[in-house]
Amino acid sequence: MIYLDNSATTYPKPLKVRQAVSAAMQMSANPGRSGHDLALKSSEQIFLARKADAKFFNFSKEENVIFTLNCTMAVNMVLKGILKSGDHVVVSSLEHNAVMRPLEKLTQKGVSYTVAEVFPCDNDKTVNSFRNAINAKTKLIMCTHASNVWGIKLPIERISALAHEYGILFAVDAAQSAGIVPIDLNDSNIDFLCIAGHKGLYGPMGTGILIISGNTIPDTIIEGGTGTNSISFRQPDELPERFESGTPNYSGIIGLHAGFDFVNSNKISNISKHEFTLIKHLYQELKKIPKVKLYLPEPDEKYFVPILSFNIDGMDSENVSAILNKKGIAVRAGLQCSPLAHKMMGTLETGAVRISPSVFTKLTDINYLVSVIKKI
Amino acid sequence: MEKPLIMVSSVTYAMKGKQILNNAGIRCEIERTPKRDMTTGCGYSLYVPKNTDEAEKILKENNIKIIGRAERSNQK
Repeated sequence: MIYLDNSATTYPKPLKVRQAVSAAMQMSANPGRSGHDLALKSSEQIFLARKADAKFFNFSKEENVIFTLNCTMAVNMVLKGILKSGDHVVVSSLEHNAVMRPLEKLTQKGVSYTVAEVFPCDNDKTVNSFRNAINAKTKLIMCTHASNVWGIKLPIERISALAHEYGILFAVDAAQSAGIVPIDLNDSNIDFLCIAGHKGLYGPMGTGILIISGNTIPDTIIEGGTGTNSISFRQPDELPERFESGTPNYSGIIGLHAGFDFVNSNKISNISKHEFTLIKHLYQELKKIPKVKLYLPEPDEKYFVPILSFNIDGMDSENVSAILNKKGIAVRAGLQCSPLAHKMMGTLETGAVRISPSVFTKLTDINYLVSVIKKI
Repeated sequence: MEKPLIMVSSVTYAMKGKQILNNAGIRCEIERTPKRDMTTGCGYSLYVPKNTDEAEKILKENNIKIIGRAERSNQK
């Protein structure tokens, strides 16, 4: 199988990730609960993972690294932990339903939101669009770092500066960028960074991270046992335990730590360069096929992450995906859980076929894809 | 000063505290806080047999939340 659905989850996982998960499952006890050697060893492994994960984003407070089930859970923790009745939020026109559905739910509690239009390859207009969406009640700006459909990258450093100019909190959904685009929390003034562990960071599915990098601590949306302060029914204030009730996904967290190591050893710049070489080649080849519809300029590192979506004239994107599947090629079609992004590009009816490579994708994989598309 | 156990508020702070003290050249181990000393239920402590006062000061300087000090259980 040629796997080109890495924006959904990277596959295959690196050998060192699989080995780390296996080792964690063979020898571990519940971390942060008991005092025996195996439990303490497991606690130490979690701590070391937290520390390494923080360092990856140039962040020094490892206790503010919260392990979650996925990026969606991290986004929910921010939105539902911060917003109260009367608050207003600004989001981008490229948001995933991980943001839009919790926001829509919050409208039932008196929260309102405005969608700021994103202008591909024009950061000035995009930032201005966010500025125009702010009002006196805006508490939070939340936006994706990169569209999971079109690969369009948002200028998060500039949007962060804008938010803080108005005293507004800033949260980033980095599901599609972490591991592909460097993120420096020491430099960017992001208050909340939501991360998927199983995509560009090559960790196991069921892993995500919320980094609380600002001074505002959200309310909790899940409470329970933390292994500390057990006499009290009140949820502890200390991070990360405040947000990590219940037994953690130990083997997943350890596997994710190995994923961070994998990305570090391969270097983000090399991974990004490799994937962009493939995507640019694909773009040029698809451009030669008259029936293929492309929606944006050729992706480059300044304005995009290496994702390319397209359609074939007169065909439903799911049908194209099914044909590719029969030829041994795995891609994602439909709306990719991002109706806003499709509405922006006029593809709400057809969806789009998304191609997303990984560090393991080869040029021959892309050439085979092109040869199959030519025959459709 | 007696009481070589420095009680901290979480296992993460215990791990972080241990690393800070080891970097400062002070030997310590992480242990569960003895039940008799726990005012809060369950918790972790740093057992620092030597230079405990200095260790406590270093931990406070590094923003490790300390609950208090305790004696070690006899059976240890």
